[in-house]
Amino acid sequence: MQHEPVVRLEGVTKKVSSKTLVENVTLDIPPGQVFGFLGPNGAGKTTTIRMMVGLTSISQGDIKICGYSIKEHFEKAVSNVGAIVENPEMYKFLTGYQNLRHFARMMTGINDARIQEVVKLVGLNNRIHDKVKTYSLGMRQRLGVAQAILHRPKLLILDEPTNGLDPQGIRELRDYLRHLCHEEGTTVFVSSHLLSEMELMCDSVAIIQNGRLIDVRSLKDGSIEGQDAALETEFMVDEPVKALSILQGGTQQGSLITLKLNRDEVAEMNARLVQAGIKVYGIHTVTRSLEEQFLEMTGGDPIG
Amino acid sequence: MGNFFSLVQNENMKIYRRVRTWVMLGILVIVNLLIPILFSMVESGGQTTIWDSVILSSSFTFFLCTIFSVIIAADSVAGEFSWGTIKLLLIRPWSRSKILLSKYVSVVLFSLLCTLLLAGISILVSSLLFSGAAESGMLPFGKSGMAFTLQYLLCDYVNLFITVAIAFMLSTVFRAGGLAIGLALFMMFTKGIFTTLFSPERYVWAKYLIFTHMDLTNYLQSSEGPGGITLGFSLAVLAVYYIVFLAISWYVFSKRDVAA
Ligand SMILES: Nc1ncnc2c1ncn2[C@@H]1O[C@H](COP(=O)(O)OP(=O)(O)O)[C@@H](O)[C@H]1O
Ligand SMILES: [Mg+2]
Repeated sequence: MQHEPVVRLEGVTKKVSSKTLVENVTLDIPPGQVFGFLGPNGAGKTTTIRMMVGLTSISQGDIKICGYSIKEHFEKAVSNVGAIVENPEMYKFLTGYQNLRHFARMMTGINDARIQEVVKLVGLNNRIHDKVKTYSLGMRQRLGVAQAILHRPKLLILDEPTNGLDPQGIRELRDYLRHLCHEEGTTVFVSSHLLSEMELMCDSVAIIQNGRLIDVRSLKDGSIEGQDAALETEFMVDEPVKALSILQGGTQQGSLITLKLNRDEVAEMNARLVQAGIKVYGIHTVTRSLEEQFLEMTGGDPIG
Repeated sequence: MGNFFSLVQNENMKIYRRVRTWVMLGILVIVNLLIPILFSMVESGGQTTIWDSVILSSSFTFFLCTIFSVIIAADSVAGEFSWGTIKLLLIRPWSRSKILLSKYVSVVLFSLLCTLLLAGISILVSSLLFSGAAESGMLPFGKSGMAFTLQYLLCDYVNLFITVAIAFMLSTVFRAGGLAIGLALFMMFTKGIFTTLFSPERYVWAKYLIFTHMDLTNYLQSSEGPGGITLGFSLAVLAVYYIVFLAISWYVFSKRDVAA
């Protein structure tokens, strides 16, 4: 990365009594991305986010936001952050607007025009002067995002923001997260246990399980592996046993032979099979979805 | 980073934008209007002075005043935890100490408002209903009615102030408003029994108990309390307890992990 990361987690560990909730997580979040934080329930996502915003202490290691340690320079570090941790809980007896005024007062340089602008962005214009207790979950989520982006933070952290939203709400959320990221250059860090969602909205994901970071990967271009990577390929043939000996390797299941090949190898193997007089009825690449890979990596913890 | 006044303004907004607060203030106003009127109806012979009325009235209404202030104090921190809004409040560029201080300031301001309302209304109504001429039977020698009354109210306020600090501490430590209200009011109502049971006359250590010193009105009548304690001593003991209560609140609030 040519840019300084917005967030650096340096060997972050969280222990509560003897239990280790998060263990030695090291992660750089590059600027200008929607960065996903994926893991099954109880993996330690919320715990990590709580440490990132200084709600809980860090047992070992440090977290730097825009270069400032959240431990040593809390106020400087956190002024670059807007967040919703878990549910978007607001003051129910105040109106949406009063809630925003409340948080605006806690930061410098937020005038009324900015509040109006944010209200418009999240599409709450019509209801902003109603009490929050009359809001639906989707509207509270919007208000939550509004309070988080009021001060134009460099980093926006959302913890499972799609929980409880209907498909329409999820779509809108995705749209304005993309907008924030690409138009305003905000780095968005979003956690989820739903892989399908991450695939749709993130540029990269970090995968966490049992408090440990197990993978970080880019989701750019929608493909997980590059063009030249060896992929699981299935050949449907009339004589599988013979084919197996020709292909040297792979596994047989009924009339299907499966083995890992890159593009050129697929063409070559096909030619060999045809030369040997084997009828090839079909060839197809088994593109395992990220979901399957994720299940494999996390040992089949239920997702979704 | 902004100014501290806006934090207090926020806390005030969270107090005064709630219907409950106005119900409490309304009750306080009505009760302070009614009690002197009731006195004027039952009193006979024009013996009661303005200041007698104010003192009698406030001995009832100060309970209400304390209860309402305790409710506000107990909800100040615990409310944020039970609403879940603490997670939004603490991730702003403000230290936890300043946030806690702003909460405490708003609570004290509320208790002052209640007390001023109480004093103002009961003095006003009493002066309309009673004449100030007669000599009061309740006054110690050589004190004017007004001076005595104001000192009396001040002693009541000290009592309230300490009770509120206790409620605020309990609210911060247990993060449960109900528990804080219950315990603080329990202490308020049972401290009389405590003082009787553990009087400094009988036990030397009892003069270090907070209960012995919360009611300072004794010193308006005599310069020495039970067991030879003086006003200065009482104030010193109260000050130590007060500092300890606030220090505990501060320590717990600024050090503790905020997790669901
Ligand atoms: N304060 C705590 N004390 C003990 N265990 C906790 C505490 N907070 C969370 N946990 C446990 O830590 C694990 C991670 O929790 P969490 O970070 O909330 O997971 P996620 O957000 O990924 O679903 C869970 O097993 C949870 O039960
Ligand atoms: Mg979580």
